[in-house]
Amino acid sequence: MDLFQLGGYGLSSRLILGTGKFSSTRAMIDAVRSSGTQLVTVALRRFNRDQAEDDLFGPLSEIKGLTLMPNTSGAATAKEAVRAAHISRELSGSLFVKVEIHPNPLHLMPDPIETYEASRVLASEGFLVMPYIPADPVLAKRLEDVGCASVMPLGSAIGSGQGLSTAGMVSIIIRESGIPVIIDAGLRSPSEACAAMEMGCDAVLVNSAVAVARDPAAMAGAFARAVDAGRQARIAGIMPKSGTAVATSPLTSFLGTP
Amino acid sequence: MIRIELNGQPREIPDGSSITDLLAIDGADRRQVAVVVNELVIRPDDRSAHILRKGDQVDVLVFAGGG
Repeated sequence: MDLFQLGGYGLSSRLILGTGKFSSTRAMIDAVRSSGTQLVTVALRRFNRDQAEDDLFGPLSEIKGLTLMPNTSGAATAKEAVRAAHISRELSGSLFVKVEIHPNPLHLMPDPIETYEASRVLASEGFLVMPYIPADPVLAKRLEDVGCASVMPLGSAIGSGQGLSTAGMVSIIIRESGIPVIIDAGLRSPSEACAAMEMGCDAVLVNSAVAVARDPAAMAGAFARAVDAGRQARIAGIMPKSGTAVATSPLTSFLGTP
Repeated sequence: MIRIELNGQPREIPDGSSITDLLAIDGADRRQVAVVVNELVIRPDDRSAHILRKGDQVDVLVFAGGG
């Protein structure tokens, strides 16, 4: 079986789902189930007794085989991200952490310096660190060197739906990387997720494209099938491109005059 | 009564209250929460013995949706 090996886990799904922006907890849970994912991201938030539905731990813990990956969203520095990871570990019971440090809401681009530092510290503490990063092969390699479980370069800006605009650099990261490469952010449609997998990504992380769909559960299922198709195509071997036509039928004339 | 800061807001609680008592007031005791007092994470087993003091900064956190 083609398991996705990630930090000692063997996952049958290569689709990681974010849980933000859904219209309701029910819609989110239905999408998670429909996606078949075994890993979802969650965010820390202060408890508010008037918004008890915000608490996702209970509903998510009812889904068998699901592991939580808390993110460090809201952190603007490495120190804040490390603190968020420590608090989240108490809640999640999992060592996964998505290091996410983006100080500017205009573009939400990850801060590479703070991300590197937080990842280095958390990896040394035994966390399974999944850093959200710009599509930078140098940074990706440095994060591998400090013991990250994967790298998660962005396809395009978070929530933008601009797709895999970083494909060129992501290809280089894939070629160079000794750890899983996961496209995180910007994917809009299943075909883009499929393309990412065909390129050789090990998994994709999707949130907005599913959460804001008219039917999130159906979209989650579509993404799951696209990710699987892309993975299968990658394994099967995608034909090389040719600058000229290459005939698929014999060109020997048999209808023409002898 | 003593005054503490709960999730960034001032809050009056009975003198001698433990973290477990505080969580029960808001119904947070029925949920999976993380508790941080003055930047220190307090684990569930230690919450009933941890008596809050005047001026303590308490954060009670849950998992919400996030990408």
